[in-house]
Amino acid sequence: MAKLLDKQRYKCALGAMQTVQAIDRALPILHSGPGCAQKLSENTGSSGYFSPNIFPCTSINEKDVVFGGVKKLDSTIENALKVIDADLYIVLTGCIPEIVGDDSGEVVSRYEDAEKPVLYAPTAGFKGNNFKGHEQVVDAIVEQYLKKSDEKIEGLVNIWADVPYQDLFWLGNIRELEKLISELGLIPNTIFGYKRGIENINKIPKAQFNLLVSPWVGLGNMKKMERKLGIPYLHYPTLPIGATETSKFLRAVGEFAGVDKDKVEAVISEHEDYYYYLIGRYADLFLENRVINKQFTVVADAQYSLGITKFLVNDLGLVPAKQFITDDTPKYYRDKIAEEFKKLNFGIEADVSFETDGYKIHEEIKTHDYHGYPLVLGGYYEKEVTESLKGNFLNVSWPHQDKVVFDDFYVGYTGGIRLIEDIYTVAVQRFN
Amino acid sequence: MGEIRQIAIYGKGGIGKSTTTQNLTAGLCEHGKKVMVVGCDPKADSTRLLLGGLAQKTVLDTIRDEGEDIELDRIMKEGYGGTRCVESGGPEPGVGCAGRGIITSINMLENLGAYTDDLDYVFYDVLGDVVCGGFAMPIREGKAKEIYIVASGEMMALYAANNISKGIQRYARTGGVRLGGIICNSRNVDRELDLLRAFSKELGTKLLYFVPRDNIVQHAEINKKTVIEYKPDSNQAQEYRNLAQAVIENEDFVIPTPMTQERLEEILMEYGMMELADDYKI
Repeated sequence: MAKLLDKQRYKCALGAMQTVQAIDRALPILHSGPGCAQKLSENTGSSGYFSPNIFPCTSINEKDVVFGGVKKLDSTIENALKVIDADLYIVLTGCIPEIVGDDSGEVVSRYEDAEKPVLYAPTAGFKGNNFKGHEQVVDAIVEQYLKKSDEKIEGLVNIWADVPYQDLFWLGNIRELEKLISELGLIPNTIFGYKRGIENINKIPKAQFNLLVSPWVGLGNMKKMERKLGIPYLHYPTLPIGATETSKFLRAVGEFAGVDKDKVEAVISEHEDYYYYLIGRYADLFLENRVINKQFTVVADAQYSLGITKFLVNDLGLVPAKQFITDDTPKYYRDKIAEEFKKLNFGIEADVSFETDGYKIHEEIKTHDYHGYPLVLGGYYEKEVTESLKGNFLNVSWPHQDKVVFDDFYVGYTGGIRLIEDIYTVAVQRFN
Repeated sequence: MGEIRQIAIYGKGGIGKSTTTQNLTAGLCEHGKKVMVVGCDPKADSTRLLLGGLAQKTVLDTIRDEGEDIELDRIMKEGYGGTRCVESGGPEPGVGCAGRGIITSINMLENLGAYTDDLDYVFYDVLGDVVCGGFAMPIREGKAKEIYIVASGEMMALYAANNISKGIQRYARTGGVRLGGIICNSRNVDRELDLLRAFSKELGTKLLYFVPRDNIVQHAEINKKTVIEYKPDSNQAQEYRNLAQAVIENEDFVIPTPMTQERLEEILMEYGMMELADDYKI
């Protein structure tokens, strides 16, 4: 029986148009109905060189359903190549042409000899959500564009993290990961954000290894690249936030890349010294606010739910109430991710629920005894329920209505400090 | 004037749905009935015998070329005995969605006011099997309430008929659609009449009429005519008149009870078809 899904936290696979948009000078060409792009676009941070409102789109209608929409797709690609100056064009299909059976792949293959690469990612909404759509886009690049390279650049590391735009902090996070990796003496390579784009995509096959920082998103891409391009990968499931996890992360990367241990420890020491200097200076703040934020709940996709839970337990000594993962994580990844929630310091284990229904999540939050004011880090949907419990709320996951982020980030040592700043900014305001 | 009897004709591909429908229509015309035939097949050959050739542009081709702002006479032609003929048409083989095409064209016919009160019968001649929702359009709520399945004594024809009955059963649960019977378009298979009777009974319906095989049907087709028009005095013309009479008089409409594959094969065994296959000699 159909059920009502309340407060869903993801979009359909065609939402991957924002993954394409996050690649500098890449352009999605949509083979979909006219409303899809409008409905799937973000409200903030998605203008710029080209925005969802003006993405080329076949805007297919009933006639195209009956007779097939491939001619329209062909002319849309042809004209997009003529009038829009981009480095990479990726055709994304919506539900309608995939159900009708348009052979979009064949149409795209007619552009093999075009001056710029034209790729095709099937992103029909019924295939899954935008997390899967994101993987489809990366797959399209790997399968249709990249070729195995005999030339390798020593120390070059492709870094992959979670889904641009779905993750409000995507840009800042990936830049900070780049920075950390380069401090180890490695050369980071990422494809998303300012001045990355096609040049960096071209470098992917030359990398020494792929580094995936995500509980599950992108794991399929890593395996595909291992098979096709011969690039091994390091899967680090936890988004490293704060000193404890970031130091672990750097050690793991250092070991995998064969970086001298002393060098790794020197990098860690320098960061930790400053990190704990800051923590020390604000210890009084934590102490004075000890009656609040005793227990916390994170309602987010797997990366933030896991990353923030580890950070708040390991670095701030808070106690986890139930944690929620809202990204509809594929079932075969769930056990391993739940296992990670048991690897917390002080012998603490967090209970985690894979739940997409906001109503059920809120019912559980309402009935849990937080032994004080609850601290809830979640989507904007959690603001009201947290306020009703006189708790402290921070908007860290989609949907984002409470926060404007240009390139702020929560990753790494600095990211951990930023997250503490944000949490305690909320906490101290209640006494104003 | 009574309610329009809207009738959908289903059956295995190549069984003779279009031929039977058009000859039946000619028979109804002789009874003074006003009939509209809507071809629901991308091949657009459901009205060829009534129109004397593939003489009209399909609804979907018209929409494609001229848009939706068209007059009814652009897509409807008058054929033998004042029948109104419409071909839904469809996409080229292998592209697009023919099912959606049928939905689009029937909606179009409604919007343009094709279902006038002076009509006695509307026939939907639907291609092959009920492969998807689009091909079930003619039997959805408010459309055809009567269905006849054209079959023969061949196993695959009966298999298809049984399968189609599953689709009818599904729609019958929620709507008013009912099976009016099986029309046998004979292939001269041994014990065909007995087999079809037994099969119909198992489906909970009846064999409405047994149309014998006669080469005159092929001759009429080559001449782009129904048998009634081509050789009005022939035996076969009378058979179609009788079929028309059977349809007019039919009052038995049921929700079919489709059988399992095993039961279907049992019936086939019982009527000897399986054994006969071994004795087949050229």
